[in-house]
Amino acid sequence: MARLIRTEKEVEGRYEEVWTVVEEDALDQWPAGPLEVVGQPAQRQDGLQRARGEARYTADVRLPGMLHAAVLRSGVARADARAIDVLPALELPGVQAALSCEEVDFLDAEAGYPGAAVAAVAADTIEQARAGVEAIAVEWDESEPLLDPDEAIARGQLVSESSSYERGDLEAALAGADVVVEAEYRTQSVLHNSMETHQAVCHWEGDTLVVHISTQYIWGVRDELAEKLGLRPDDVRVVCEFMGGGFGAKNGAGDYSLIAAELSRRTGRPVRCALTRREENLAAGNRNATIQRLRAGARSDGTIVGLGGEFVNAVGWSGWLAGTDGPMQMLYGVDNVATMLRGAKLNSAPMAAFRAPGFVEGTFGLECLLDELGGKLGIDPLELRRRNHADADVLDGRPYSSKSLLECYRRAEPHWDRRHEVRARSDETWKHGVGLASQVWYGGGGPPSYAWVRVGSDGSMTVVTAMQDIGTGSRTAMAQIAAEELGVSLAQVRVELGDSARGPFASISAGSSTIPSMGPAVRSAAGDARRQILELAAQRWQKEQRTLSLKGGRIVCSDGGSWPLESLLGLLEDAQILGMGARGPNPTGMRVLTFGVQVAEVAVDVGTGEIRVGRIAAIHDVGRIINPLGARSQVEGGIIQALGHTLSEHRLLDPRTGTVLTQTLDAYKLPTIADVPEIVCEFVDEPDSHLTNLGAKGLGEPPIIPTAAAIANAIRDATGADVRSLPIDREEMLRALAALARAKERSGDRVAARPA
Amino acid sequence: MQLVRPSSVEEAVAALRGGAVALGGGTDLVPLLRDRIVEAETLVELHAAVPRGVRRCTPTSTSPSPSSARFWIGAGTPLAVLEAEPEIPTTLREACRLAASPQLRAMGTIGGNLLQATRCWYWRLKFPCWLHGGETCDAKEGQHREHAIFGNERCASAHPSDPAAALLALGARIRTDRRDLPLAELYRLPTDDDRSMTTLEPGELILELELPAAESSIYVKAMDRQRWAFALVGVAAARVGGETRIALAGVAPVPWLVSSPEELEQATPLPGTAYKLEIARALVQRALAQL
Repeated sequence: MARLIRTEKEVEGRYEEVWTVVEEDALDQWPAGPLEVVGQPAQRQDGLQRARGEARYTADVRLPGMLHAAVLRSGVARADARAIDVLPALELPGVQAALSCEEVDFLDAEAGYPGAAVAAVAADTIEQARAGVEAIAVEWDESEPLLDPDEAIARGQLVSESSSYERGDLEAALAGADVVVEAEYRTQSVLHNSMETHQAVCHWEGDTLVVHISTQYIWGVRDELAEKLGLRPDDVRVVCEFMGGGFGAKNGAGDYSLIAAELSRRTGRPVRCALTRREENLAAGNRNATIQRLRAGARSDGTIVGLGGEFVNAVGWSGWLAGTDGPMQMLYGVDNVATMLRGAKLNSAPMAAFRAPGFVEGTFGLECLLDELGGKLGIDPLELRRRNHADADVLDGRPYSSKSLLECYRRAEPHWDRRHEVRARSDETWKHGVGLASQVWYGGGGPPSYAWVRVGSDGSMTVVTAMQDIGTGSRTAMAQIAAEELGVSLAQVRVELGDSARGPFASISAGSSTIPSMGPAVRSAAGDARRQILELAAQRWQKEQRTLSLKGGRIVCSDGGSWPLESLLGLLEDAQILGMGARGPNPTGMRVLTFGVQVAEVAVDVGTGEIRVGRIAAIHDVGRIINPLGARSQVEGGIIQALGHTLSEHRLLDPRTGTVLTQTLDAYKLPTIADVPEIVCEFVDEPDSHLTNLGAKGLGEPPIIPTAAAIANAIRDATGADVRSLPIDREEMLRALAALARAKERSGDRVAARPA
Repeated sequence: MQLVRPSSVEEAVAALRGGAVALGGGTDLVPLLRDRIVEAETLVELHAAVPRGVRRCTPTSTSPSPSSARFWIGAGTPLAVLEAEPEIPTTLREACRLAASPQLRAMGTIGGNLLQATRCWYWRLKFPCWLHGGETCDAKEGQHREHAIFGNERCASAHPSDPAAALLALGARIRTDRRDLPLAELYRLPTDDDRSMTTLEPGELILELELPAAESSIYVKAMDRQRWAFALVGVAAARVGGETRIALAGVAPVPWLVSSPEELEQATPLPGTAYKLEIARALVQRALAQL
């Protein structure tokens, strides 16, 4: 039965109290450990389709009569489009329509960053559309851009209200501490660079707008487009069957889908609006840069008594305050914490969520600070983290629904113990070291989400839900869950997803929420179908329903009898069994979080500043693992993406004009396969007994969070140098080594000057 | 745009008269055309016209050490062939192997590689910079972490070719459709009056390279990642006829010869390229130690 409850909803670490309709979750959790299908490694059901090029991505959608849209973007960081004349574009061959910020409100004449869209043209070919864009006459009124985050804060140019947090008395705690460390950390802006750029193809079928779009949130796009175009939500159909990556940047509809929809409305033809790689790196979101001025104090026994942080997020022209302060508030059981988070409004492209926004940046600062503190205290980094473990949620004292961070630490020991052997490999040139870092993140998901399961007389079982698989293998995981519940093999279950007109509401694929939000709904629907199958079986074989179960493709009775499932389903003919399921509520009064630890081994060439990461061991606690193969793939992807963030990726701006200098993939340096270290991956794999019928949390984001700090701490272990700024490129590494040499020289001088 | 596909050097040279642009592997030219940094009405596809391949050849009178073996390389030879050629000097083979990606090396020719345009982002983004005929070098004022530490008075761009440094260290010569010259004379620092980086005349076509066998040679390269990146600093060192030469990639607007490690101290790094000098010192020392 559905209930209306008041509950906390969390997306990417942002909480709000909302009224939500929830369905009771009647199923008990399965026993821990690998089951028949769930917990067994499963290759992706659509792997061959993808490998053979048969999977149709938005980038592959070519509709009859389709037009191509090109976008006129500001070439400078700060300008107002005073007057725009699109008529010259309309006179060019092939151009069918044009629109500008003077007539539609989803484009803004105030262009606050390079790449801000102000007009668009649809033409028969993309080349004609681009020629049209070049022909548009714009009178620009340019002004001096603001690019320095500290300057923006000083001038009070903020994107939103600053966020301050305090528990206990930090200043008193630091005054009474035996050891205090203080350091400034910086993280750079990085670009998502999904393989598939942001894009949409829109067309109208009568009054219905059909949108093919590369998106992480089919239903969000539906609602956003309906609202902005003045349509009823059900008059917008959103389709995304396959997707080439999003990483947080594709949570919204984006101006490109509005451009395509409006140009399609005007021309009566389908319109494709796809960003080029360069546009992608100009105006499709980024992880914002941060400045973190941090303090920590501890007693000599290693008890951290206070943590303080002043954080600046260089948000850009618009965006929100990602929780750079979150790890400092949440990771350790520290009584006195004070943080201040400010968001600088700058003439650079708006940030977008990027895989654990805020926590990647904040964990780099906090976990490096912790090692600097451990160094002064003379306490082993792993031991320091154990001693400051939080046994209950530090924000408000509520219990964790589950937490196995200490178990992660225990499993990290053999990897951590390798440090003696690794350090011993050092020579004059290459210095070897090991570092670790912990991680906290959300990932509990939440209601509402729905799924249906259809069982036909041919024995086929189809999961139907209008969710998206953003490339993480969600489709396969959902099939595993349904197969387990229905007692059939994975091959017998198909999953139909990716179309808002062909399935019930499904949650956003963001905030590590797909498995914990959708998985329980799918199990619930499969459970409903199972119940109906057993109802019919009880009648067919004159048994009590409670004595029957489904196992290995058979109906099994506790009295020893069993019948093949098809002997019952064959009787259905055109009748179908339709199971319906919904995601139940999260446990009340509990904090649902994910935890983990990573151990990195690095080698540093002290002559040239080259850094090689040799091995990363990742141990994560995300509740039950549905597909160990898919989970491993998530961890590898997260670590590789983190590697780029740590060592080589950097969105560089011209300091005077704000122009993005790294628009192409030769200049913007993603890691290559040659950069990828050995990755060892372990999961605690213990179901969260309080969380849903699955006990599974999300894994999309946790593995990218601790990597940068683990690598930086390994570099310190190897060389003694403090690297406090990302990326740790050759310049930063050599700077840190030179600073260390100067510090040694100074302390040497002091020693020499000391009277005998 | 028109594409002509001559089948002999004579036809190619004739086709190149009147402003046509030569197309080798196209790995650099095609992006430049797309960005309209290079404008061309006619492209002359060199594949069937310019020689390819590697062979040992007899010393010529211009050879520095006439007694030693020499190699002839067709200018149309892809880098992918050279990186797998066991006979040629190590420095050239390694410089090819460490360049770009396998796909790019399969397409890119050694002749085209010598003439690659700089990766300077200001130049590529068509800032009206000094190299594009403007007044000032935007990189010097702006973001220049990948830029020059030598020869950067007017323009701080860095030359991207790894093989060019290797060939310079080897003392290679090139033959064009009209002359024979040391590779060192192919390059020039641009001046206010003439901002080109090479001494090639309009329509002049590089046909062949000739280089000596080295007693010992090496190429070492510092990059932002392990593969597929232009050199922050590339160091080629070769001992030929008892004489050791060092040449650097990625440190000046053109491939840069240094007569001795001490000459590195005459570098003029920018605030953001000082780290490159440190890398150059370390790599030169290591290269010489391993010769």
